[in-house]
Amino acid sequence: MIAARRERAGVPLAALAVALATSLFFLLPLAGLVWRAPWSSLAGELGNREVRQALQLSLVCSLWATVLSLVFGVPLAWVLARAEFRGRKLLRALTTLPMVLPPVVGGVALLLAFGRNGLAGQWLGVQLPFTTAGVVLAETFVAMPFLVIAAEAGFRSADQRYEEAARTLGARPWTVFRRVTLPLVAPSLAAGAVLCWARALGEFGATITFAGNFPGRTQTTPLKVYLLLETRPEAAIVLSLVLLAISVAVLVGLRQRWLAPG
Amino acid sequence: MSLEASVSLTRGTLRLTVDLTLGPGATVALLGPNGAGKTTLVRALAGLQPLDRGTVILDGQVLEDTGAGIRLAPEDRPIGVVFQDYLLFPHLSALENVAFGVRCAGVARTEARRRAAEWLERVGLGDRTSSKPGQLSGGQAQRVALARALATRPRLLLLDEPLSALDASTRLEVRRELCRHLASFEGMRLLVTHDPIEAMALADELVVLEDGRVVQSGTPADVSARPRSRYVADLVGVNLYRAQGGGDRVVLPGGSSLHVAGGGEATGDVFALVHPRAVSLHRREPEGSPRNVWRGVAESLDLDGERVRVRVTGPVPIVAEVTPAAVADLDLAGGGDVWVSVKASEVEVYPA
Repeated sequence: MIAARRERAGVPLAALAVALATSLFFLLPLAGLVWRAPWSSLAGELGNREVRQALQLSLVCSLWATVLSLVFGVPLAWVLARAEFRGRKLLRALTTLPMVLPPVVGGVALLLAFGRNGLAGQWLGVQLPFTTAGVVLAETFVAMPFLVIAAEAGFRSADQRYEEAARTLGARPWTVFRRVTLPLVAPSLAAGAVLCWARALGEFGATITFAGNFPGRTQTTPLKVYLLLETRPEAAIVLSLVLLAISVAVLVGLRQRWLAPG
Repeated sequence: MSLEASVSLTRGTLRLTVDLTLGPGATVALLGPNGAGKTTLVRALAGLQPLDRGTVILDGQVLEDTGAGIRLAPEDRPIGVVFQDYLLFPHLSALENVAFGVRCAGVARTEARRRAAEWLERVGLGDRTSSKPGQLSGGQAQRVALARALATRPRLLLLDEPLSALDASTRLEVRRELCRHLASFEGMRLLVTHDPIEAMALADELVVLEDGRVVQSGTPADVSARPRSRYVADLVGVNLYRAQGGGDRVVLPGGSSLHVAGGGEATGDVFALVHPRAVSLHRREPEGSPRNVWRGVAESLDLDGERVRVRVTGPVPIVAEVTPAAVADLDLAGGGDVWVSVKASEVEVYPA
């Protein structure tokens, strides 16, 4: 107690003032959102067909993106964590690039790759841009790195001697992975999946560039918010509140992991 | 049932070269200081560490033969392992831990669980089936690990320091338990330990490993009667010297010599062993029959039960075991010069 108090007393007043101002910088926009929310017409706005459509599409697409990220990202993370090969660092840099790449650039790049005349698109025979599948693809592209990073850290920190113990008990590699490795990294995978889903849910730039903005097909909630802001600001605020609530829920859900003191 | 292993591998600074044979139903303790390569040998036998060269043959079945390019995976070897810190799967209950290996052998879930419950009953943990490893005490976790390894019906059981993770107060009881469970297991047992008491209590044969090589093997009585390395001599608590034999005396590396009685086999490279109890200390130069008398300096005292071990430096560094009364009479507490005497008949000599 005494040590803590002494330490606090040692913090310069100027730093405290800056910290206070900074926290206002984060707090004010959120407060504005809550303050300007049309609480009385909230239910009505949420019942609006187009709003519901956007929310539903967002939910479906972001969940698909999360599933795809798990299916493809977990093996990738395993390879990054466990395999020794040339170019591993390069591969990791490549898969984490979408985290720092401007989403719009991601969308353009996806168009050039999977568009009608794109590198892969001309052989694919499937129309991806401006479809719901395109939304899923764009969201997966942007969100999967969050899962890969968390999963790789999980695979790295899992004690491999448990896997050795499993093998001495007669477990084949696939059984070891399924019954020992996966449960050991499950907390990391869950955290990664939640982050990935949250990122997919909020995706804007890559989606609008690659998949366009068609109501009911590619118009996800963030896109809808942007459009509504011009025509019906109250509806935009309501949808923003929904996304804010989800973000807060994600933070609370992950608090054991990232908000724990220490 | 037998194990014949010839293991040769290099790992970091460790060069392990070991030939090991286990007879049917044998319990062999692999004894050695830290870093001697004990755990590496266990991992090599279990298939977790590939050999550079060598063979592992269990009951006539070749598990590994680098010459013929044969190497069975760990899961294909009929070998059970109890790891040093047990490595119970933290997300599975005690029952599921024990059932794990049974399930891997293709047994259906309910039958595997029934057998696992039986095993837990057998090691006295019938009431802890649903406990997670984190809820078990060290001794309980060790028994679950033992049950888990035995439930796969291995022909060879490897135990890596099975008691080192326990605190001293429970070790004795767990050791007695372990002894009982090992006796009921019909396969071969190889126990790794750095604790000579553990080795002698649990095994009927000792293999002493130092720097990746076997320096001595035999029954506990043989090994402690005729140590062949400083490590074993220190464990047993005797004075051991490498010497050159020659008739009625042996010459130590420093040039000083010890008289020996008989001396028939004392030729060439020999070990000379003097039990600390056979060493007498005096303040003045002693007169009488002892043939070996020299002057030294009492360096340090260690209380060992009812006796005091006095380390004396001099031409022949030696440890003497005396009574506390003698320490007082000779005023050894402050150190100082002493005379050392050893009867020639108390110097035991055997070929190196």
